[in-house]
Amino acid sequence: MAPSRRTKRVVASQPGFLNLKSSSGAAGLPSIRRKRVNKNKKKNWNKHSDINDVTEFLEDVRHQERTIGGLLSDKSDDNLFFLDVGQPKKAEQKVAGFASAPLHHVSCYLLYFPLLSHLSPNHLFCPHPTSVLAYQQPNAKKLRRIGQKAEQLAAKGVVPRRQKQLLNRRPADRTAKKAVTEANNNPDREYYDIWGQEYTADPWYLQQTGKKRVKRPEKLNEKPSVLPAVEVIAPGGSYNPDFFSHQALLQEAHEVEVKKQKEEDKIERQLAVNKEHIATEETILREQVEGLVEEENEEEAPNEEEEGVAVGAITVAEKKTERQRKKERAYKVKEQLRQANRYQNDKRQQLFQLRSIKTSIKQEEQETKDKQKQRKAKQEAQKAQPRRLGKLKFKAQDMEVQLSDELAGSLRQLKPEGSVLKDRFKSLQKRNLIEPRERAKFKRRLKLKYVEKRAFREIT
Amino acid sequence: MGGLQKKKYERGSATNYITRNKARKKLQLSLPDFRRLCILKGIYPHEPKHKKKVNKGSTAPRTFYLLKDIRFLLHEPIVGKFREYKVFVRKLKKAYGKTEWSSVERLKENKPAYKLDHIIKERYPSFIDALRDIDDALCMCFLFSTFARTGKCHVQTIQLCRRLTVEWMNYVIASRALKKVFISIKGIYYQAEAMGQLITWLVPYQFSHDHPTDVDYRVMATFTEFYTTLLGFINFRLYHSLNLLYPPKVSWTLKQSQMKLSALSASLARVVSTAEEDEAELDQFPVDGEDMANMEAREKEQKQEEAQKKLFEGLKFFLNREVPRESLAFLIRCFGGEVSWDKSVCIGSTYEVKDETITHQIVDRPNIDKQYINRYYIQPQWVYDCVNAKIILPVEDYFLGVTLPPHLSPFVEEKDGDYVPPEKLKIMALQRGEKPAHEQEDEEEEEEEDEEEEEEEEEDDNEEEGDDGEEAEEKNLKKMEEQRSQGKSLSVKVTAGKVKVENPARLEQEEKAEEKRLAIMMMKKKEKYLYDKIMFGKKRKVREANKLAAKRKAHDDAEKSKKKARK
Repeated sequence: MAPSRRTKRVVASQPGFLNLKSSSGAAGLPSIRRKRVNKNKKKNWNKHSDINDVTEFLEDVRHQERTIGGLLSDKSDDNLFFLDVGQPKKAEQKVAGFASAPLHHVSCYLLYFPLLSHLSPNHLFCPHPTSVLAYQQPNAKKLRRIGQKAEQLAAKGVVPRRQKQLLNRRPADRTAKKAVTEANNNPDREYYDIWGQEYTADPWYLQQTGKKRVKRPEKLNEKPSVLPAVEVIAPGGSYNPDFFSHQALLQEAHEVEVKKQKEEDKIERQLAVNKEHIATEETILREQVEGLVEEENEEEAPNEEEEGVAVGAITVAEKKTERQRKKERAYKVKEQLRQANRYQNDKRQQLFQLRSIKTSIKQEEQETKDKQKQRKAKQEAQKAQPRRLGKLKFKAQDMEVQLSDELAGSLRQLKPEGSVLKDRFKSLQKRNLIEPRERAKFKRRLKLKYVEKRAFREIT
Repeated sequence: MGGLQKKKYERGSATNYITRNKARKKLQLSLPDFRRLCILKGIYPHEPKHKKKVNKGSTAPRTFYLLKDIRFLLHEPIVGKFREYKVFVRKLKKAYGKTEWSSVERLKENKPAYKLDHIIKERYPSFIDALRDIDDALCMCFLFSTFARTGKCHVQTIQLCRRLTVEWMNYVIASRALKKVFISIKGIYYQAEAMGQLITWLVPYQFSHDHPTDVDYRVMATFTEFYTTLLGFINFRLYHSLNLLYPPKVSWTLKQSQMKLSALSASLARVVSTAEEDEAELDQFPVDGEDMANMEAREKEQKQEEAQKKLFEGLKFFLNREVPRESLAFLIRCFGGEVSWDKSVCIGSTYEVKDETITHQIVDRPNIDKQYINRYYIQPQWVYDCVNAKIILPVEDYFLGVTLPPHLSPFVEEKDGDYVPPEKLKIMALQRGEKPAHEQEDEEEEEEEDEEEEEEEEEDDNEEEGDDGEEAEEKNLKKMEEQRSQGKSLSVKVTAGKVKVENPARLEQEEKAEEKRLAIMMMKKKEKYLYDKIMFGKKRKVREANKLAAKRKAHDDAEKSKKKARK
């Protein structure tokens, strides 16, 4: 290695050496004065010796070797220059980009496309390099053998395994779409036995992969109301009803109406203006002269007030005498004793009242039981009632009923009453499946602005 | 006095509930999506017992859900689909706005859709659970199938509903499961029994819709979406229980066959030959004497039921164009009759009016021009009444132009002592097998209906009133008189003594009555009081029923006299 380096260095110092990188030489000479350092220490050598020029040179040499396959200065003129005889047609197709510019000097060409260099132009229009390595292929013999063998086999009609595998591979169907989930309301949708199939996947696997469904709580399967889904209309609702059942239904409808009417009347009554409160001429006049006419009663009032103050004064309690206190204390003790005696006596007496006590206890128990029963019955009744689930209360729909003269004589003339859609909707509300709700009102966000159109304005 | 001060509303019922808006936010869904999710998953709002506590002191009316329910909803995969759909709509809007048609196409191709199968399985773990909840599904599907193609709901939904309802009706026909039918002013109620479950549904009349404005169509559509899925799976299972091919067999082009099916005149294709699935005989078990009677009764009942299922077998009906075709065809085929209609009315008619073998023609107009002599012309109510009475009723009351007897509701069940309308009594008598003697017993009812006969019988009316027993006695007396007149003198003879027949049944009855009397005597005072009260209530009921009956009679008499006066 050492001798070669030396030679290179020697070459570089010679005036005939061509530098591939233009910048390397021109890079300014250090005009700063050299720092003086001791050169007897290896550390200083490393630190203070300027090896830039050397590294640059080495870089350049490596570059030249990489691109041209030797130093430029070593090459003969034949290798570097060639006779321009126009552009061959093939080349034009292959390297359309730089074929347009006439190439005269390889070096400048190489300068711009160093990496492409050994690919083409050398090969195409340069004469073969003298080096053997230039046209030796690695493993050439082996490759040639393989090629020959393949030709032989092809002649026999034997297809190599790899190709066979490729041929056998099923062509990917690009046109097939992903499995699309069809809409739920597709009229031709398929159904299957959903209750027949058992668990297909291993529960342990599902749990570990996080695909296991959360179990539905049992309580959710309870219905929120005990009412049946379909409530059959009363027998009076038949299209050709029995007289009495029809009357019964009419009666029921009538009662509903009466109740409604009563409520309306009640509100009206409450809102009605009291006649006494309406201003008459007299009251208006009185109001107008209020405070202008002096009244006689006013003078008497203050006197009364003074008397009241005198009555309300605090009276100071007089001090009790010693005797009084003693007497009081004795009385208190006596009273206590009496109470205790009385209590004792009562207790003793209760022994003889056992029967009446028993009855009273029984009575109480009976009462609580009755109350319990009542409460339970009330709760049961509540279950069938619609609950208050939101802002609005459930409002039952109007009863479907046909008056006697509306009844049709035959099925053909029958006029259906009410709407089944509404009936179903109300039934859902009644069974607490959905909350009664009002339709959302349309609210204008921005105020409308009215502008008179010009054409219109001109007329008016 | 140690410890932290307890904060309000951090335990108890306040933590068990969540308001709707909070729940919605927790799930990150819009309100319509939230409602839809709740309906699909079967999660309903809940009214708390102490609203003020739950509402953190406020008394404002709010909708509450149980917190646990909402937590459960968080695991639902459909929630993700809803969000995806929201994004899809946004993208589509944008693409439309930019008029990027290719991306619109691409987006539409990849429209996110969801399945409800897992929810069905989750809500109804077993088939019978689902069958119990089918009433609602049927009502909704029948309702939607009658909708016109207005913008109120998706056309595809209507078609699907139509398909499912037709499939259901065909199942009912194939299994002969129909029990009751009631024509009301609202619609027609049907009741069938499938796998031991009584199923009631309501079918609206065709073309009777004025779309009410106060119904939330979106909610209804969501329910329908769920119910169509449910009904489809149930239909599949039911068809397979009868060894029928599930999507009913398609013979021609799809469209035509569906129409044919919906015409209800085609029978269904069987997977297995019919011979195999003959009715299995009831297994006989050795039983005690006590159970024997029970068993016999049950057997008898079953036989009766079998007979009822073949009510219209051998009869051939023809429907005129003015009668409700679908309902009648369904009914007649449910009980084994043959049915056809005019070719121009609907596809699927099997024979024409001219067919000589037709036994009944159903007509709903006052008169008809050309009448065949070998068939009955009856009004449609006859078919409905026959189904409810479970026997073939006499056709006379239902002839052309005759005032029909009232159509009674089969859904009312009278207890003893209740008032029973006379028409029902008559039907009950017919059911017991008593022949209605036209000339004698029922003349009162007959009179109403057969106006022609009325006048002829008018004279007989007064004489022939009376009980069976009296008549028999009278006959005996007459005979004796005749004999007397013939023989002129009474022949005095010693006749052989007759053995007094002791009726064991009667004896038993007497014994029972005696026992009861004694038992009443032995009652405690308190019980006696209660017993008396009950008996009084019963008697009152009977009295009321009698009163109603008397009223009815008075009403009928008044009507009759009015009629006579008119004549």
